[in-house]
Formats: sequence, C-alpha cells, structure tokens
Amino acid sequence: MTPGPQDPQIVFERELERYLTDQRMTRRQMLARVAAVGAAVALAPVVAACNAAGVTSPSPSAASPSAPGASAPPSATPSPSRSPTPVPSPESELFIYNWDAYIGDHTVADFQSKYGIRVKYDKFPDADTQMTKLRSDGKGGGYDVSYPASTEIPALITDGVLLALDPGLIPNAANLRPEWTSPGYDPGNKYSMPNYWWTTGFAWDPGRIPDDLTSWDALWDIRWKSHMGMLDDQREVFAVAGFRLGLSPNTTSETDLDAMLAILKEQKPLLRKYTDDDIGDVTSGDLWISHAWSGDWYQMIADKPKTKYVVPATGAVRGNDTMVVLSGAKHPIAAQLWINYNLDAQVSANNTNYIGYMGPNAAAEALIDPAITGDQRLNPPQSILDKLVELLYLPPADLDKYTKRWTELRA
Amino acid sequence: MAAPPTPAGAAGVNGTAGAAGTTLSPAVAAIRVPFVNRLAGIVLILPGVLWLALFFLAPLVIILVVSLGTRDAGGHITLANPGVQNYIQATRPEYLPAFANSLRYAGITTILSILIGYPIAYWISRFGGRQKILLLILVMLPFWTSYLIRTYAWMIILRDNGVLNSILQAVGLTNDPIVFLNTDFSVILGMTYGFLPFAILPLFVSIDRMDHHLVEAARDLFASGRAAFLHVTLPLTMPGIIAAALLTFIPAIGDYVTPDLLGGAQTTTIAKIVQVLFTSGRDWPYGSALGFLLMVVTLAGTLLALRTLRREVLA
Amino acid sequence: MNRGGNRWLTAFALLIYAFLFAPIVVLIVFSFNISRRNFVWLGFTTDWYPKLFANQSLTDALGVTLQVAAIAVVGSTILGSLLGLGLARLKFRGSGATETLILLPMVTPEIIMGISLLIFFAQLFGQNGSLGQIAIAHVTFCISYVAVTVRARAAGMDPRLEEAARDLGASARGAFWHVTLPLIAPAVAAGAMLAFALSFDDLVITSFNTGVGSTTLPVEIYSAIKLGVSPQINAISTIIVAVVSIALLIAWRLGAFRTERGSMVVEDAPPA
Repeated sequence: MTPGPQDPQIVFERELERYLTDQRMTRRQMLARVAAVGAAVALAPVVAACNAAGVTSPSPSAASPSAPGASAPPSATPSPSRSPTPVPSPESELFIYNWDAYIGDHTVADFQSKYGIRVKYDKFPDADTQMTKLRSDGKGGGYDVSYPASTEIPALITDGVLLALDPGLIPNAANLRPEWTSPGYDPGNKYSMPNYWWTTGFAWDPGRIPDDLTSWDALWDIRWKSHMGMLDDQREVFAVAGFRLGLSPNTTSETDLDAMLAILKEQKPLLRKYTDDDIGDVTSGDLWISHAWSGDWYQMIADKPKTKYVVPATGAVRGNDTMVVLSGAKHPIAAQLWINYNLDAQVSANNTNYIGYMGPNAAAEALIDPAITGDQRLNPPQSILDKLVELLYLPPADLDKYTKRWTELRA
Repeated sequence: MAAPPTPAGAAGVNGTAGAAGTTLSPAVAAIRVPFVNRLAGIVLILPGVLWLALFFLAPLVIILVVSLGTRDAGGHITLANPGVQNYIQATRPEYLPAFANSLRYAGITTILSILIGYPIAYWISRFGGRQKILLLILVMLPFWTSYLIRTYAWMIILRDNGVLNSILQAVGLTNDPIVFLNTDFSVILGMTYGFLPFAILPLFVSIDRMDHHLVEAARDLFASGRAAFLHVTLPLTMPGIIAAALLTFIPAIGDYVTPDLLGGAQTTTIAKIVQVLFTSGRDWPYGSALGFLLMVVTLAGTLLALRTLRREVLA
Repeated sequence: MNRGGNRWLTAFALLIYAFLFAPIVVLIVFSFNISRRNFVWLGFTTDWYPKLFANQSLTDALGVTLQVAAIAVVGSTILGSLLGLGLARLKFRGSGATETLILLPMVTPEIIMGISLLIFFAQLFGQNGSLGQIAIAHVTFCISYVAVTVRARAAGMDPRLEEAARDLGASARGAFWHVTLPLIAPAVAAGAMLAFALSFDDLVITSFNTGVGSTTLPVEIYSAIKLGVSPQINAISTIIVAVVSIALLIAWRLGAFRTERGSMVVEDAPPA
C-alpha cells in the first residue's frame, strides 16, 4: 500500500525527525537511548507529538486532563488508527524539591496512584537554600523538578541548570491564561511553567489593631513596637521602602538604595523580627501586624478568621514562581508529566483551594473556591494588577548593592 | 626492657603526663622517648590525621581559595583576580554590632552554664552515691532528644500566648503578655539550655576526681566552709572549669540556629551574617572570607587560652 | 557537714533538673494538641501518632539519621580514640600541629564546614549528597570531640600501671587490652555518647550534604519549624525520648550505672 500523507508511518517518521532535530540527537543516539531506557520511554515524546498532530486540537475549556497515552490502560493504544506505537511509560520515580505546605493536600498521593510513579518530595525552608542546592553541581543537585521564583529563571537558563521543556508532553499548557503564555523572564515558557502568583502586602489582627490600615506607613508606626514584623527577604523589604519613598524596587541607583536603607534603619528598632513564617507569627499572636504574602494571609484566616490584609495603593510587589525540570534530571518524562498534571484544571484548583495562592490556570478558575476568586486581595482585578510591580532579576554586581545594605541593616 | 615494636607496649614509657593529680617527677619525665615509641605514636594517630586531612583540610583549603576569588558577571566563582579584597571588605565596621552580639551571647552563656553546672555536678558527685552515673545520664537525657525540637519547645513556652505567659496571667502577676520571645533573654536562655550538658560533663569529671578528704582536712584545720571551697575545691577543679568554658564558648560563638529561632530583629549574630552572605547574597567568596575571619579569631583566642593553661586542660 | 547548705544545694539541683526537663514535658504534652499549627492548646487527640507512622518523609528521615549516627559513632570513636591515645602517650615533633589539627574542626563555623564539603563532593566527585556523604561529614566533625575526651583521660592515666603489667609478664598487647583500654574505656564511652548526640542533632553541616531521599530528622524539623510545625514532630520526639528512657531504665536495672570499683568511674593513682 502506498503511504499517504497522513499515514501513521509517515506521521511518525516526520515527528521523529522533528524530535531528533529539536533535541539535537542523531538516530544513533536515539537507538542507544532506546537500548538504555526502552522504546516506550525513548519514543514517548514522538508518540505524543503524533497524537497531537493526529487529532483535532482540544479547545482550551475542555482541556484533556492528562498527558496523551500515559493514562490509557496499558493494553490500549491511544488511537486505533495509529500504527502500533509503544505506550509511553514514564520512569518509575520522581524527585521533587519544593517548599513545605505549598501544594494541595493530596496532589502527590493522587499523582502517585494515577501514574504509579513513586514520588520523593523533599522540602526546603527558604529560597536561598533551594538555590544553593540546585546550583551545587550546576544541574539541579540530583532533583528532577523544582519551584524557583521567576526572578531566578533568566540566570538559571543561561547557566544550563534547566532542561528545555517538551511542549508535546505538556498539553495542559493550553489551560494557561493568555498573559502567562509568554512571560518576560521566559518567553514562550520554554524552560518553565508558571506555578502560582501572589501579591505582597501586609496583614494585621484587628483585635489588637482596630484601625483601618491602608498604607505602608503602618509598618513604621511606633504604636506597634515589638509586635511588628517584616519578611526575611531582602528584595521584598527594600521594595517596601521603595514604595514608601516612591522609588522603584528594581532600582540600581546607590542614592536610591541609601535612602531606602535610611528609612529601614528607622524601622528596625520597632520590629520584633524579620520572619520566614508570617503565618505562624501572626496566628500565634506574637506579631500584631506583619509584611505578608497574599496566599499566606489566606492560611492565617484558617486559624485566625478576623485577620485583615491589604495591598497598599502606593504600590506593591506582584510575584510568581514556576515549575521547572532540572538539566540533570534522571526522570525527565515523569517530571514533565508532573508539570502537566499540575496544570490540569481540577488539580490546579485543588492546589489553590488548599494553599490560597492563585494559579495561572484559566480552566481552573471555575473550580476554585469563590471565596478565593472573589476576593480582591487574593485575586486582584486587572486594574489593580496593572499597578503592581514585578521584581526583576538583578545581576550580581547590582544584587551586591542590595546585599551590602541588607547585611548592614541586619547586623 | 626490649619492647617489641607494638604501639601498646611501646607506649608504656611516657614523656610527660601533666594532669592535676598525677605528675611525674622530672627524672621520669626526662626519660628519652625511644624511636619505636615515636613510631608507635605516629601509627596511632595516622588514621585520624589522614581522615581529617582528606575530609576536613582539603575542603577547607578549597574554601580558602574560594575566599580569595570573586564572582564574574554571571555570578560564578572566578579566580581571575585573586586577592584579599573580600577579607578587607569583611572587616566592615557595620558588622561590629553582630559580632558584639555573638561575643556577648557566647560569654554570658558560658558564665551561666558554669554557674549552673558547677552546683549540679557537685551535688551529683557528692550526694549521688551509687546512682551517680544515672543522675549524670539524666542530665544528658534531654541532650539526646533533638536540640531543634527542644528549642522549638522553648518557643511554645515563651510566646506571647505561650505557657509561661498563660501561667503568669493566670496567677495575676501580669495582665498583658510579656514579650519574652525574640529578645536577648530568650536567646541566652535557649543557648544556656543547649550548652549546659557540655559544661556539666567536664565539671563533673573534674569534681569527681578530686579527693574530698582534702576538703575535710581543710575543715579540720579550722577553715570555714567558704574558705575550704575557695582555697581547696575551686583550685583543684579549675581544669574542669576551664574545659567547660572552652567546650561551651567555642561552639556558642558560631551558634547559628538558636539565635535564629529564638531571636528577633535585634539579636543578629555574625554567624547569621555569614549565612546571609552565602545564601541571600549568593556571594560565596565573601561569605567564606567572613567565615574564615570568624574562625581565625576564635582559634587565636582559644590557642591563647590553651597555651597559658596547657597542662591543666589537654594534657 | 553543713546541713542547711546541703538542703539548698539539693533544692537547687532539683530546680535545675526541672529546668532541663520542662521543655521535654511541654513537648510531650503538645504532641496531643488538636491544633495543626501547635501554638495554643486547642484540645486533646492522639491522632498525630498514627499519622506519624504514615508520614514517610519523617520516618525515612529518622531512619537516615539513625544510620548516619551509627556510622558516625563507630568511625569517630575508633579514629578519635586512637588519636587521643597517640597524642597523650607520645611527645613527638608533630604533636603540636596535630593538636591544632584536632582543634580546627571545633572552631570552624559549621556553615564553612558544610559548604566546603558540598563543594568538595559536588565539584570534585560529582556527588549530589547522599547518606554516605552525610556520614563522612559527621565522622569528620565528631573525631575532635572524641580525641579531646580520650586524650584527657589517657594523659591522666599513670603509665606506670602498664609498665607494672609488663613487669608482671604481660605481653605488649595484653597490657594494652587488659590495662590501658579498660582505663580509658570510660572516656571512649563518653566520647561515643558525645559523638552520637552531636551527630543525631546536627543541622547546618548536614543540610548542605543532603541528597534526594537522604535527609535527616533535624533538617526536616527545621523546615517544619520555619513553616509551621505539625504535632507529628512532637510525636516523633516523644517517641525518641520514650525509647531512650526505656533503654536507660533497662541498663540501670542491669546495674550498668553503679559506681563500684572497676566500673565506670575509676579512681586514679593518688597525687604524687
């Protein structure tokens, strides 16, 4: 039979060629890979691409909840008209490195039972520990997936710490809201997928502070001395000083930074601590008012329902973090399956509902608790979003200007 | 005295042994140490020295080299311009308050540990009777639970709405919660608590070794209780006090975790600054330099103390 | 004997014991707290214990911690005791330098030691952190403490005792085994206990040498403390306290701690 243009073999051949070119792999290397990890694993991306090419593209609102083929029962092929294709079976393990309490209650368990992949979920207490670990060998420190802040991505890409994502393995990327499809730090989401985003304002206990607070000045108020906290994050702290002075939180001007340092030094004697655990400190009552992330406020309410939160109109930080695959990943297929899984509408909604951080997922919005989507403090409308500022990556020479003053402040 | 060349046998004739309580006459001490004995000594220490050389010194040298480097535009460590610029920068006067904090906390902790540890060690030694060791082990028992968790327990106790404040408010001693946590007080309390066993052990060893008949003899000679203590007990147990002081002060200076968990905005230590430089500042060369400075200062102080007290402490 | 003084002393001693154990008691009590964040007492529950056993990352971490501690104790006790013994018995040209070498790990800031090992293993051997790497780090920082402890004891030992044994016909090895070793045994035991405690609790050095699936209990607990502790952590600590206490109780019943001649606390020769 003469092969036609849409004949499965032709499609396969075409996709294979494309895949090899993209990955800069020779056929010989592909054969070696097949020998090493099995045809199923090695050819999984190609099969996925075939399926994507073969079927009509799914509409965004009816996003298919799983990676093509992976959830199909082992005996069935993805589509009866395809030529015999190996069912892609990802690696059996997955190593994830993330914050604690930063994912839905049973997301990991669900993923494990759905795909039969054993997940090792290690946690770090702060972003700096994370970066030290990921960069220790330049390839991710042995992990497959991690969650860096967006400010880190440009440098991570340049340094080869991240693995380029295979769009064929992450069809749920179609669920992303339009503004997240090509963020400035990673155009085209080639190396990362957005995870959650947030605003940074401040939270307070109205039982202790009956005032209606609206401005950053509240964090310099002598009445709350010894019961006030700021986040232990140099960029965020300097940003607050910047907003109070009308300066950019991404400034590299020494005079600007000196001015910020001056008012931060005025603030320091009033502070009780620079905290990593704003949730704990506010709910325990040690802090009456604290610099805080929006999702953290949502978790504070669980224990202290009356806690208030505000994003001052003079300016605030908007940030997001990402999901990435590390370049040294031993289980890259499983890693991308995981990312795809978390971009699923229901899974993303589950995550958000548990931890209170909004995701970039348009399809998930209908499934998120209206208490979150309806709350302007957790889900600000575009008009407010436009006024918020993103913290940008700073090269070492510029970051040093901040570090020098931050250590001076803290000492 | 033809000793076969084995470490044990050869070690029979010693150079000097200078612990308080056992001294050799100069004649004995002057016995030449035969070559075999020296060889035996070297064989004994060789495994340990090799291990330390490989897994401690070699990495340390690497970090020393890093501390002489800088970072390039991409943030990677480079040795293109080696020099001591990091060390010069590390001696910024702005860091003095943190350094002062470290010294202050370590110093007060050491003094408190000895002041508290001595009576306890004395009590166990004199009144422990047959259960001496059990009582000593009971002192160490908290030490074998996670030190982090014990520090965390202090957080529960000292919080504004914690156990201590609840008790104080219940008995009416105060109406509003007192701020205990995140202060100098909580840091020193936590550190003393953590280092107390380090002090009690050497104190106990020293006190227990002392011959109490000497105290009795002094009392028989009409010395008062206090005089007996000051002129007999104290000098004889001084080696233990010195050891306790060193074993407490040295780790306390570099303690990062306790001030981090129990401290606040005003209690920053130099160890925290080093940590900030490494992690938040992403500046490994600079952080290494400051870390080395801290180490050199601590080491110099220690060697100085030891040189003047060499015999009593380590011999 | 000053009876009044004794009473004060005893009272003080009991107070200090209470001080030492107060946090432990709080720890145990709060392991039964309903509140997940565990700040204020909200109610009684035993739920956290079964949840603990189901919590794989905590139980795995405990397993790693114990394995590392075991290796660290064995390794550092052997190496450190030999070091201490060698230094105490001999005066040779390198002894001053060796003494300083032993002192160095104790004065080195933990973050320096941790990062230096991280660079050493990652850049030189391409290792990403593993149980073995943690164990090596622990042996390294424990050696000094064991060496100092054994050295103090060995130096205080009267060398004439060993000589006497030789005079009485013991071989060199016999003298070592039956005279020297028992005399320094308490110090070796003390050093081992110290090494165990240090290894079990280490945070900073370990945190730079963890790898995938090989993290220790302190590292897990530190993350938990920073971000809100669950009473599961209290539960695991309570279990550890219980196990250690029971072990001690058994040892006590078997008479391990009685101070009689030839047992743990040994009298030295009277001062010359």
